[in-house]
Amino acid sequence: MLKLKKEVIKLEERTIDVEKDLIKANERLAEENKKLFERYGVRAFDIMGSVGAGKTSLIDRLIEKLKGKYSIAVINGDLATTIDADTIGKHGVNVIQINTGKECRLEAYMVKKALEKIDLEKVDLLFIENVGNLICPSDFKLGVEKRIVVVSVTEGQYVVVKHPLAFFDADILVINKIDLAEVMGVDLDKLEDEVKGINPNIKTVRVSCKNGFGIENLIQTLNL
Amino acid sequence: MHEYLTTKQIVESVLSEAEKYGAKKVLEVKLTVGKLAVLSIEQVKFYYELLTKETVMEGSKLIVEEVEPLVECENCGYKGDIQSKGEDIYHFLIPTLTCPKCGKKVKIVRGKEVVVKSVKVAVEENV
Repeated sequence: MLKLKKEVIKLEERTIDVEKDLIKANERLAEENKKLFERYGVRAFDIMGSVGAGKTSLIDRLIEKLKGKYSIAVINGDLATTIDADTIGKHGVNVIQINTGKECRLEAYMVKKALEKIDLEKVDLLFIENVGNLICPSDFKLGVEKRIVVVSVTEGQYVVVKHPLAFFDADILVINKIDLAEVMGVDLDKLEDEVKGINPNIKTVRVSCKNGFGIENLIQTLNL
Repeated sequence: MHEYLTTKQIVESVLSEAEKYGAKKVLEVKLTVGKLAVLSIEQVKFYYELLTKETVMEGSKLIVEEVEPLVECENCGYKGDIQSKGEDIYHFLIPTLTCPKCGKKVKIVRGKEVVVKSVKVAVEENV
């Protein structure tokens, strides 16, 4: 008869100090991206906002006005499809699509990886279109010069006050679809007051990507 | 929503620590989350249970400690709580970065962090 030797493993408890801050870990990578942009003289902008707010349309309008002056690249974050990348790509600019799959935000490491596919020597301006929603991207900086949040009047009067944390680290609020403000019954002055009540340093620009209103103003606000 | 990704990062951090120390089992994970972090703790707990299945972390206890925010004004030196604007029509308080003393923008010193503080593991006893 085979006799198995029973081995007893004694375990002891041990506490490991980890102290790993996930937000800071992303910020360190964002800082690396920032240095890379500085080294190559690339001016980068993170564009955030809900699905349908008009992020792609805004980039489209900006490229239309700026492509004669600058060499432009776009990083496009989306859960799936290349629809946005195709829209922007018709301008002949370099578009890198990041299909995040399940993730609802871009993080600095994703941008870092995407930057490997871009010849930064040849780029002056980089627009990064974040994944469409007003919540997830807010805590995750990418290393850009300015963070832009796009809201549209079709999201209603309370879009800002319902998402206050989205505006804490934003530099510019773009209010899109203002041609529909009256129909939607949205008070634009009130919307601007509310966002400045949350972040007194934020700049606001009213645009209509449909007819091009306000795009020049945004370009000036971005010092482009 | 994005709690899935954040929880995955938490679990990955813990698993790599556990491996480094040759842990047979993870018993407890301590996490601190700032109250201004855009993160739902309830959802983190939900994903934690899912993502730790069939790992050494399965069945471990997740302890979450919330951190009160602290802001500082570089203009006038105010240091203290973040202010909120209560508007009855909205039925909730809206946090603001406006300095209660001088009206400039305050800096967040504390309250945005998501930190894996410590991990309690079971390791083989040295005989």
